[in-house]
Amino acid sequence: MATTTATITLSSGDLTGDALSLSTTSTLTKAGTVTGLTQFTGVGRKTRATTAQLTLFDGDAYANGSHKVYLRNTSTVATEFFTIEINSEQMGKLYAGDWAFFPWEANADTNDIKIAASVSTAMTIEYALFIDE
Amino acid sequence: MGTVRASLSISSSDVMTTDINLSVGAGLSADSGILSRAKVVKTAVDANALEVYTVNDKSESAYLYLKNLETEKENYVYIYNDTDSDGLVAKIGGLEFCFIPVAVDKGYRVYGTRVDSMVEFAVFGLDSSAAGPFNQS
Repeated sequence: MATTTATITLSSGDLTGDALSLSTTSTLTKAGTVTGLTQFTGVGRKTRATTAQLTLFDGDAYANGSHKVYLRNTSTVATEFFTIEINSEQMGKLYAGDWAFFPWEANADTNDIKIAASVSTAMTIEYALFIDE
Repeated sequence: MGTVRASLSISSSDVMTTDINLSVGAGLSADSGILSRAKVVKTAVDANALEVYTVNDKSESAYLYLKNLETEKENYVYIYNDTDSDGLVAKIGGLEFCFIPVAVDKGYRVYGTRVDSMVEFAVFGLDSSAAGPFNQS
């Protein structure tokens, strides 16, 4: 069994009078078990020179499970974002330099993860998927 | 205005034949971002489900951190878009977390496999004047 860990650290000294310092680690496991995820897409990048929506991960291509998704907008232009859609719902806008990490169920053919760049001047998204199969 | 540093590190020495050491960080501008701990009170979509983001609380961009504090993996919490068609945006197993962008003009709520599960969450972003404080009741 493979062991993969994800650690998030959130810190701020000036957000409130109480300094924020949070660090938590999760071992990436299959749905409802403590069995580690054993398949990984590797870290890839996709450059988009269009604002048209792209299906990054197709819900039909993966089993119903607890896949783990990593996304990062590599842009350095602060106003540029990718709109992230999941399960035909808008998740949010991933702005330049920002990242996201979340479990993905892929519970239906329509449970796709789609992205759309805010501009058509070659934006790049970095992605990776730990697969629960 | 403050700054929040959000970092992610993913590592494994055995999921592939080469080590994985992915480390990224981002500096987020934020006016607020209270780290809260709250009880999940519903097991399905409900107008009184725990609200983790209020419509228009932030402007431009907002990021939600949420950790399911349940120790049993199969006791999930579900984050859904409460403004559109109640579709799920994440299903978080016990002791798992997510860090996701949220649409600032949508509301997000949480229900669980069971009531009384605890979650820890925070939303970071620049405040909008269009909404009041979170409903954390």
